Amino acid sequence: MEGEEFAVGCFLSIKTTLGDEFEGQIITFDRLSNILVLQEGPKSGPRRNIRLLKANYIKEFSLLRQDEDPLDVKKCFLDLTSLQAREDCAIRQAEADSERFGVGVTSEAQSLFDALSKTLPVRWDKTVIVVMNEVRVSSPYLPESVSGGTPAANERVKKVLEFERKRMQVRGASQ
Amino acid sequence: MLKKGCKFHVPSCLASISFSNSYSDLSFSLYIHRELQKVASFGTEREIPIESTEKQRRTRCKRETEMGLKNRAEEENCSMNEALLFATVCIIGLPVDVHLKDGSVYSGIFHTASVEEEYGIVLKKAKLTKKGRCATNVTNGSVVETLVILAGDFVQVVAKGVPLPSDGFAGNTAHGNGEAAFDIVPSSANPLNGANRFTKSTMDKRKNNRKRNSVQNENGFTPAKSGKEHEGENLRQNPMGNAKEVVYQKSDRTNIEEGKDASSATVAGRQVGDDSLQLLQDEYDQKFEFHVEESAKEVKHSVSSLDACLTQVKPVEGAHAEMTIKLLLNGAPHDAPVVGKLENQCCERPTATDIYQDAVCSGVSISSSPVTAVSSESCQSSLATQAAIVSSQSLESNKNSKEFKLNPGAKIFSPSFASAISAAPPIVPTVANVSYVPGNSPMVAVVGSEPEVGIGSFAPRSSTPSKFVSYGNITAAHGVSGSQFSQPIVGHVGSRTQPLRYAGQYHPVQAVPAYLNPNSQAVMFGRMGQLIYVPVSHDLVQGAAAVSPVPACPPLTPHHVQFPKHQGSAPGQALQLCLPQPFIAGGQQPLAVPSHIPFLQPPFPANRPIQVPGSNGLYSTKLQ
Repeated sequence: MEGEEFAVGCFLSIKTTLGDEFEGQIITFDRLSNILVLQEGPKSGPRRNIRLLKANYIKEFSLLRQDEDPLDVKKCFLDLTSLQAREDCAIRQAEADSERFGVGVTSEAQSLFDALSKTLPVRWDKTVIVVMNEVRVSSPYLPESVSGGTPAANERVKKVLEFERKRMQVRGASQ
Repeated sequence: MLKKGCKFHVPSCLASISFSNSYSDLSFSLYIHRELQKVASFGTEREIPIESTEKQRRTRCKRETEMGLKNRAEEENCSMNEALLFATVCIIGLPVDVHLKDGSVYSGIFHTASVEEEYGIVLKKAKLTKKGRCATNVTNGSVVETLVILAGDFVQVVAKGVPLPSDGFAGNTAHGNGEAAFDIVPSSANPLNGANRFTKSTMDKRKNNRKRNSVQNENGFTPAKSGKEHEGENLRQNPMGNAKEVVYQKSDRTNIEEGKDASSATVAGRQVGDDSLQLLQDEYDQKFEFHVEESAKEVKHSVSSLDACLTQVKPVEGAHAEMTIKLLLNGAPHDAPVVGKLENQCCERPTATDIYQDAVCSGVSISSSPVTAVSSESCQSSLATQAAIVSSQSLESNKNSKEFKLNPGAKIFSPSFASAISAAPPIVPTVANVSYVPGNSPMVAVVGSEPEVGIGSFAPRSSTPSKFVSYGNITAAHGVSGSQFSQPIVGHVGSRTQPLRYAGQYHPVQAVPAYLNPNSQAVMFGRMGQLIYVPVSHDLVQGAAAVSPVPACPPLTPHHVQFPKHQGSAPGQALQLCLPQPFIAGGQQPLAVPSHIPFLQPPFPANRPIQVPGSNGLYSTKLQ
């Protein structure tokens, strides 16, 4: 696979050795690292997908059509400050999200957690779902597994849990 | 290039590095670079010039990209071509999926990459989203603070939703949007008016702005014209009932314009303007042309106000549906405010304007000749609002300010109102005469009772013209002869179905403005109960005032006209009002109606109070 074959602006349909199949326009090809940069999505859209693909893993490709260089040199400006802010923001978001994932729990437990989190404040205490900081739902996360908290809160959590389990069953059945 | 013979060691290749949160970006980057450097230079032992820090590298990238991607891959120290570098920098901080040789996929935030020799990647907050064939030291489901993916394992990076610089980066885009919004608002207003109107409107806007400034100054508003919001705030703070009122009207107009009813609204505005002009000139009968011109002027005023409020307006536009709802709600509050407080009224006004705008438009056109029609449409809401406004204006500028608070757009509008106000004084009278005639004249009368406030309100009305017109009518009715006006409206309501027809009728009679009305009416209907009322009012008006509307209006002025209508259908209207008020039913209903009727003849006080409670309650209920 020679880099010279990849002309900037070409639209290619590519199959990778890993089984991926996609179409994209070549933004550039770097011979040294053998990386092909492609963009997908509507040409005029504000956002597109960018792929950096190692050309070694291209199984086959076909040229769909030729087009102009998608990068307008005159418009290539980067704001490092905004980039940094974007990354910081993304990391903070990821940190917030990561707290939502229970470690060592089943996917069912996680989906129950996610469902509960839509209506109640929840957090993980290892594998135990703690609702409203007082009601604890431990494995196997059945209504009987609910313990603690005021009777009202306890009942509330049981009801929500039951309801969410039914919903999950319906969803599972429909699939 | 995949080096043949190179063993695939996932565990060793995926160095999971956990840093304390205290690590500095710089040192981290350095670390990563060294790590990557080792990897990159492994086996080759080649001396690779490496950027000492990621930051520097990025900076260089920027420099290079700014220089233009002239010598791709020819940069002395950069082994990677600039386009790749550029693409790499573009995806920094974005969530990416990295596919590895063994088929596994890691998702994380793209932190940096080594562009020397081999393309290594560093992800933050990486997760294994798809397990590959090879074992790994990253457990499924756990989040790795920092994941270094070596070039040898890397197959591809997929970044979704990348804002390419050519599309404008977020920061820049945002700024542009803000500015654009301003620009857009005016344009929207203009379209409504039409090319001629646009030009006029633009001209007017300029004038208006000047006027606004002067007005604001006069009123004591801070001369922070540049900051529309500031103006609005000032208005709030300052007890400038007039200015505030004006602003509200403008806001209403803007809302109307913004909305689908924009055209109708503009028309209404025009009509209103015409009305006001008419009032001034007492040329109702004369001709639509005058009205049109005047309306255009008014429109301009409104536009200017819109411009000022553009930012706010835009949001409003965006959520027209919501706005309408709010307006409805507001309308209720307005009524109540009228009775109780002006503040609520202000809020109500905006909503009323939005909602009514359509109605107003139609009503306005109608109003100019058939006051009743106008009143009928916007009457209920508008009436309430108007009444409220009037009272609020007369009563308290502070209330207005509150209203502004309630409606962000209102605040924005306030500036415009201010400008409108400047023009308003003259305009107001005219406006009153015009579509509002019923309402307006009442308003005027009210004004008379509450000189300063009244004027302010009038001015707003004029500016608000179309929307307010109807409202104005209502309010007017409430305020001075408000009850009467409202009654007409009520009557109209009774004949709700007719509305459109009326609108048409009115339009012909009144002038071009009427055209807009049809649309607006339709809109109003859809929006609220008020709308329904409007139609009814139209019918009534038509039936009752059809003939008289124009004639009556011209001679009598708005007030007179309205009265005739009221008189004609007064009893029935009152009843009808009740019916229409079903919306109100929700809240205002009967009480409001009764109050209106009584009020009609009684002065403002009675009417306002009644309306306010009823309308507010109803609206609020409805809205909710």
